[in-house]
Amino acid sequence: MKTVFVNPERCLGCHQCEIACAVAHSSSKEVSLALWEEPLPRRRIHVEPGPTYNTSFANKCRHCNPAPCEQVCPTGAIHRQQDHDLVLITATKCIACAMCAMVCPFDVLTYYPVAETGPQRVVAVKCDGCVDRLSRGDIPACVEACKAEALVFGELNELLKAGRLRESYAVVAATTMMEGQAPAVPETVHAWRAWGASAEEATQGGGER
Amino acid sequence: MKTIFPVDFQRMSVHKDSQAMLRRASEEGIETVWDRLAKQEPQCGYCSLGLSCRNCAMGPCRVDPFGDGPQKGVCGADADVIVARNLGRAIAAGASAHSDHGRDILEVFHATAAGETTGYQIADEGKLKAIAADYGVELEDRSTREVALEVAEAIMEDYGTRKGSLGFLKRVPAKRLAVWQKLDILPRGIDRENVEMLHRTHMGVDNDYVNILLHCLRTSLSDGWGGSMVATELSDVMFGTPKPVSSEMNLGVLKADEVNIALHGHNPVLSDVIVQASQDPELLNLAKEQGAAGINLVGLCCTGNELLMRRGIPMAGNHLIQELVIMTGALDAMVVDYQCIMPSVTDVAKCFHTAVISTFDKAKFPGAIHITFDPHRGIEIGKEIVRRAVQAYAGRVADKVYIPGEPIPMMAGFSVEAIVEALGGSPEPLLAAIKDGKIRGAVGVVGCNNPKIKQDFGHVQLCRRLIENDILVVVTGCAAVANGKAGQMRPEAADMAGPGLAGICKALGIPPVLHMGSCVDNTRILVLAAALANQLDVDISQLPLAAAAPEWYSEKAAAIGTYAVASGIYTVLGVQPPIFGSKNVVQLLAEGLEDVVGATFAIEPDAERAASLIRRHIEVKRRELGLPYHDPQTIPLPERGREKSPAVA
Ligand code: SF4
Ligand code: SF4
Ligand code: SF4
Ligand code: SF4
Repeated sequence: MKTVFVNPERCLGCHQCEIACAVAHSSSKEVSLALWEEPLPRRRIHVEPGPTYNTSFANKCRHCNPAPCEQVCPTGAIHRQQDHDLVLITATKCIACAMCAMVCPFDVLTYYPVAETGPQRVVAVKCDGCVDRLSRGDIPACVEACKAEALVFGELNELLKAGRLRESYAVVAATTMMEGQAPAVPETVHAWRAWGASAEEATQGGGER
Repeated sequence: MKTIFPVDFQRMSVHKDSQAMLRRASEEGIETVWDRLAKQEPQCGYCSLGLSCRNCAMGPCRVDPFGDGPQKGVCGADADVIVARNLGRAIAAGASAHSDHGRDILEVFHATAAGETTGYQIADEGKLKAIAADYGVELEDRSTREVALEVAEAIMEDYGTRKGSLGFLKRVPAKRLAVWQKLDILPRGIDRENVEMLHRTHMGVDNDYVNILLHCLRTSLSDGWGGSMVATELSDVMFGTPKPVSSEMNLGVLKADEVNIALHGHNPVLSDVIVQASQDPELLNLAKEQGAAGINLVGLCCTGNELLMRRGIPMAGNHLIQELVIMTGALDAMVVDYQCIMPSVTDVAKCFHTAVISTFDKAKFPGAIHITFDPHRGIEIGKEIVRRAVQAYAGRVADKVYIPGEPIPMMAGFSVEAIVEALGGSPEPLLAAIKDGKIRGAVGVVGCNNPKIKQDFGHVQLCRRLIENDILVVVTGCAAVANGKAGQMRPEAADMAGPGLAGICKALGIPPVLHMGSCVDNTRILVLAAALANQLDVDISQLPLAAAAPEWYSEKAAAIGTYAVASGIYTVLGVQPPIFGSKNVVQLLAEGLEDVVGATFAIEPDAERAASLIRRHIEVKRRELGLPYHDPQTIPLPERGREKSPAVA
């Protein structure tokens, strides 16, 4: 099964994935035109801040199986698309009851008007795995946009193996004192985040006068 | 904007007045800078690492700091070049802001010398003569006006490139000048270096990050020893050189029964005539007719500092107070000139009766009343502005007025001249105290507020630790207001200082934290440092001095920090500049510059650690000068992640 895997330690919080996602779900597929569409195309991936400055996580539908949202949807608006193993919403069937949002373990549902149902009502909007792009042989728009490889697309087991390999390089390097491979986070990014952590820490102290 | 999370106002500011207004903002759904920061998070990592470039239309480009994605922009610029170019442009923008402010003052000075203005005069002839000497202008048998005109014209030439170096470089110690000459970074013209920076950072010009960084130094020097110094010196000539003066600070300086006018921004040319206009009997009468007991002027940001230093006008607060002061419901007008005035003030003002009055054609605010400043009719315009404020008072809603807390007394007005006079006419006693170790050294703590740091926590805590350890602190800008509000600028604050510093402060009747003025007035610190170096016949970099900008946010602060380092002063920044995407740039600024200009930058958001870094640096300098010193390594550097020490009380 191919999926979008998130490496939060690599996320730079640039929101490029959000923009690309919204554009991929516009009628025009052009960033400059998408902004004028009615209803506005919406992002289905959400980059939210972490606990300290300079940390963030790109959160999106994980296309669970079985999918809690699918199980609770009273109208059958949510179904599993077999070819790409994706959880999809049929906008026209959605009654915006928010049951799916309540049970989603990742809080990735949002409610907006979409092109299929027109600007008058809102429906559940979430990641559709870029099913249209996949059928054309393209990779998801967010993955294409992410220049930091915080989002990667591939067979889950292969992606996990890549992580394990990094891990084993690091462990072996540490235990044998050999020169290791590149660490997961380079020094530059490490120092950038360290400021965030110490600014946060410094803010904890103090209190008022 | 309601939030589902309880808002912790104590995390946002150390001050009770700010906290009270933040509570009001959250209750009434008024958006503030803190809300907007939260909405911006996470902020883009490429940009905050300095790795994004928008300098041309082949771009925008970004370099992947993880090394897998693109490592070069379309043009071929790598991380080092992109980071250096971005930093260079920020410094040029900051230097331009100061220098353009200086030019505005210069133009009013020139018009005043030509007898074309109303409301202005040559207030300090002594200062005019001193500047004339720097610029080689003859004094013999000439009227003040003639001298002033020639000085104005000579300084105007400094903005271009006619002379090849700046007049105020005469004040730079010879050893420092030699360093700049060797590096070929002598500033040649105030505007020139900024323009050249924009040229160099255009695609395909300066492709060597080291060369760009050297020009960063030169650009900043054209500000510190050029544009900013012009602003300070000519303001002194026209409005008077500051002398010690008592005043008060925080939102409590607003008066419930008077017309309250806040003067916000940076340039004193307009606000100074407003002070005159506010004493106009006709306008005072008008205020009485409206039911107000008088007209009360308060300062914000550096316009406030300028007025505080010279006129003792009380300060409502610093940068992060600008939205909150409107929320007292007691502010009838906010008169703005330029720099650091958030576009949001007109939005907040819509929730109240406050009139925002903009005054410079280069700084307009949708939603504000615009009254164009014109020095030829200075006093008339001042009166018109005050009249508008008095009229706005009629719209005040008594129920909405909430002025939290009592003002804190403080002392300001410490120009170099005032410090030397307090010392009995020569810097010698200060040097003697430094030599025998009663005072270990001196530190300039300067710069802004930044909502990423709890308001004023960085300033107050750092200054407190420094004075406790017998380090004399001089402050400007928002850092000064932070210390004033915290009670660290009363003469009695000498009790907070270590025994050596306390003794000297008590003998002289001065506080241990000395207010030296606005942000452009950081040049006063340069002048003081140069005077001390000259007395000892050493370079500035050999002195036990340091600088810090614990909560800086603005491009101007980037220019100031850089001219401090280029002038030989070790500088600790509390907020990280967008340079961490290039290890080479960071290394050069944090280490490499030591061998080049004898000073470096450090970045440390933790005030306790910053204090230790500075104390160690000062002891190293003392040792190198052959003065009694403590072993720097015995000064503990607090661990990160330690138990929190309590805030200074
Ligand atoms: S909001 Fe729409 S998709 Fe979600 S459970 Fe309700 S009907 Fe189904
Ligand atoms: S896979 Fe497609 S729909 Fe899902 S978050 Fe990425 S871009 Fe958006
Ligand atoms: S594009 Fe990548 S790095 Fe940028 S916010 Fe999205 S996941 Fe994070
Ligand atoms: S100057 Fe170079 S790096 Fe910058 S936008 Fe243009 S091509 Fe990209």
